Amino acid sequence: MISSLSGGAHRLFSIVLPSFALSLGACSIPRDPSGTMDRVEQSGTLRLGVIEGAEMNEASRRTLARVLDRTGSRPETQRGDSEVVLARLKKGEIDLVYGELAMDSPWSREVAFSAPQGLLAKAPKSEPVPRFAVMNGENGWLMLVSEASK
Amino acid sequence: MSEIPSAIKQDFRNAKKLEWWTLGWMGSVVVVMYFTMGASQAMKTALFEDVLSLVPAMTFLVSAHLEPRAPTEKFPYGFLRANSLAFLGSSVVLTFLGLFLAYTNGMGLMKGEHPTVGPVTMFGETIWLGWLMIAALVYSVVPPVILGRLKQPIAQRISDKVLYTDSLMQKADWQTGLAGIAGIVGIGLGLWWADSLAALLISISIVKDGITATRSASAELLDGAPRRLEGSGVSEEAVRLQDRLQQRWPEGRIRLRESGRYILASVDGIETPGEIPRAEELMDPGRSWRLGRLSFTPHGKEDPAHHR
Repeated sequence: MISSLSGGAHRLFSIVLPSFALSLGACSIPRDPSGTMDRVEQSGTLRLGVIEGAEMNEASRRTLARVLDRTGSRPETQRGDSEVVLARLKKGEIDLVYGELAMDSPWSREVAFSAPQGLLAKAPKSEPVPRFAVMNGENGWLMLVSEASK
Repeated sequence: MSEIPSAIKQDFRNAKKLEWWTLGWMGSVVVVMYFTMGASQAMKTALFEDVLSLVPAMTFLVSAHLEPRAPTEKFPYGFLRANSLAFLGSSVVLTFLGLFLAYTNGMGLMKGEHPTVGPVTMFGETIWLGWLMIAALVYSVVPPVILGRLKQPIAQRISDKVLYTDSLMQKADWQTGLAGIAGIVGIGLGLWWADSLAALLISISIVKDGITATRSASAELLDGAPRRLEGSGVSEEAVRLQDRLQQRWPEGRIRLRESGRYILASVDGIETPGEIPRAEELMDPGRSWRLGRLSFTPHGKEDPAHHR
């Protein structure tokens, strides 16, 4: 099919396709549009928000330890009310939030939730369960947290 | 005229078979797309388009069931136009739904919404859902493009507007798939706007399909001259018929219109001649079945439109 293309289109394809493939291969996919993972890795600091009253269970501690290990960062923890902490996450002032959050909470549209931490059975959508949350659209960062949760 | 002419019976059967295949294949595409769409607007819009692509197939099958039915007391001209009516309704819906989706996706783009496409765990492995979305989009392109190519020549032979528009929409489906894939790859590369932009382009293609279908369906309902299957121009076949009729009755006024797949011709200002030419003499070779009626109206008895 390529051979039937005109010279210009052929040249375009021969330049665009390899560079596209190279750019896919060179960077890990998915990437973060707001660059959370890059920022954490470069600064060496993970700004962690913990919702007041939530205690980290063993699975969450393990996940957090793996995230810190993979990014080579240290946590800078700040506690607060869920509204305050999640609003700061949404604005990009915090990198990761831990708390007991229900899947049907209105915040599930404003930020992205990780899978429940340390639960074997599927929890009802209305039940607050321990989980992490990241800024919406930070897909690479969410992948890293999810892989660390395994 | 209520029976399907024998010249196109086999094609008509094949068309029905292809539309059943369409329902089956596109149904499977809809299921695959539904389970992989996640929060991607491009996937959601492509899913809408796939659901909408079932409508022409259903319209065709319903009208194919009605068309061969004998005329009744209440419908003495039979049900030849059943497909035109259903098609007009569905194409208007298609247009408005496309406009709604274009508005929603345009707003999403303006608000700067960042789509979250997270991980999914399969067979113990955590992979990015975007890869599954791309696989689903690739799959969603294959059946419609093949079916569209198979339907188009049949639609031309049986002069079926619904089938033809359906085939055109399906043949162009690869563009939707490609736009969707570009949107997902864009998300993967951290370009949050790529998804909404792809979704906006897909919605615009839905609006375009809707407008094409509405124009095609409404011309017939307004008793317009028989249209070409592609575009909105008058069909060449009808022009040739008009010329042949005009040659035979130069003093008469020739008017042609369409009823379903048939052409109805009227020669005004002429008494019914003793010898009426056979359809084979007036139509192109192999197309005589398409002349559904030839009527003559003596001078002074024409319908109101004649005097304007």
